[in-house]
Amino acid sequence: MLSPLKQTASLAALLSILLAGIPASRASVDDAQSFALQAAEPYVKEGFQVREDFWGGDLGTGEKKAVRQQLFKGNEYWFWMGTEVEKATISVHIYDAEGKLVEQPDSWQKSHFAAAHVIPPTTGSYFIIVSIESSPEDRTHWALVYGFR
Amino acid sequence: MIPFAQIPQLAAAAMLGLTLTTGAAEAPQRIDVTKLSKRVDDVVVPLPNEVFGALNKLGPVNWKEHVRSGKGSNFTERPRIALLLGTVIADGFIAVQAEDAPAVKDIGQRVLGLAKGIGVGNSITPHAKAITEAADRRNWNNVRQELDRTQNSVQQAMNDVQDQKLSHLVSLGGWLRGTEVLTAVVNKRYSEDGAELLHQPDLLGYFEDRLRAMPEFNSKLLQDIQAGLGQVRPLVDIGNKRISADSVKRINEITARIDEAIITKSP
Repeated sequence: MLSPLKQTASLAALLSILLAGIPASRASVDDAQSFALQAAEPYVKEGFQVREDFWGGDLGTGEKKAVRQQLFKGNEYWFWMGTEVEKATISVHIYDAEGKLVEQPDSWQKSHFAAAHVIPPTTGSYFIIVSIESSPEDRTHWALVYGFR
Repeated sequence: MIPFAQIPQLAAAAMLGLTLTTGAAEAPQRIDVTKLSKRVDDVVVPLPNEVFGALNKLGPVNWKEHVRSGKGSNFTERPRIALLLGTVIADGFIAVQAEDAPAVKDIGQRVLGLAKGIGVGNSITPHAKAITEAADRRNWNNVRQELDRTQNSVQQAMNDVQDQKLSHLVSLGGWLRGTEVLTAVVNKRYSEDGAELLHQPDLLGYFEDRLRAMPEFNSKLLQDIQAGLGQVRPLVDIGNKRISADSVKRINEITARIDEAIITKSP
């Protein structure tokens, strides 16, 4: 069985081909969400419930944004980020309320997909920092979904 | 957009054997969170089963004693219906925890009726059907996913007609019912880990802000909820200190009182 990361990469390759014909002007946060959900899909089989709600927007290259989210000790979370701009490089990282990096070492980043894994040591608010590391577009749509088990 | 449901088929077709590099990009080990100027204001309110799942890991819970599936009163005030919708969807998650298929199906129909009452029934009909089918098959994961979809669709439909405030009330209703049951469970068998699940001061602040921004819904019920949240805040906003058994009991009393007011017709 392929690891979730390899499955995601395979899906990414196919989706990139399928979406290559979409003009940039028609691309949207909805497309970015589709890719974020692509990244999440393999984890559903591992028992993660992926939330329907999501965060999204657009950012310039080098820009970051912080999303604040309540997490519960005892659960395990993945945050998946995606963009439809296939030549973009994006990242997502998780910090606790004190600003300490708390993600697990199996968090990953691959071009226009990124994912961060956290097992919260305490119940409370955490900061999820999303960033467009590089992109050929002035503004790059992004979306962030999360799942828990 | 490629439908999510097609992804497995695409996956099968897309086994291209790509080699990947894994591992997260270098990220600073520490950041100054006080200097995070660019924040996303949107908040994704945790589902009741997010906290129920964490609670389950602390020990067995008799979810059956918290199941509530009665038909309930009918209301005409839209803010009240929105709060009630959130409450009933939370009841759905409780019924799933209890694996009570008849209650889940009743709740699915109740959600549909309330959604119709607020003018967003069309977007809920397929979810209500899916909830019933999944409950018949006792496919609890699917029921949970459909309940999330139901809440999301209700809120999307409200947002589409510029009723974001009602959408916030749906989330608030669900949070209040979830917190009532969480505190009932922890109150029965106190543990520090169980009480820690109440450490949600930012979420509380979020709801307080939303309520302050809806002065046009100047009802006694919303005033009571606002006052109740104000009473809960000092009990959970205590930094790294432990939330005491007394605080858990008090929060349960407050949220149970509010929940009763939401579901009961005033004389």
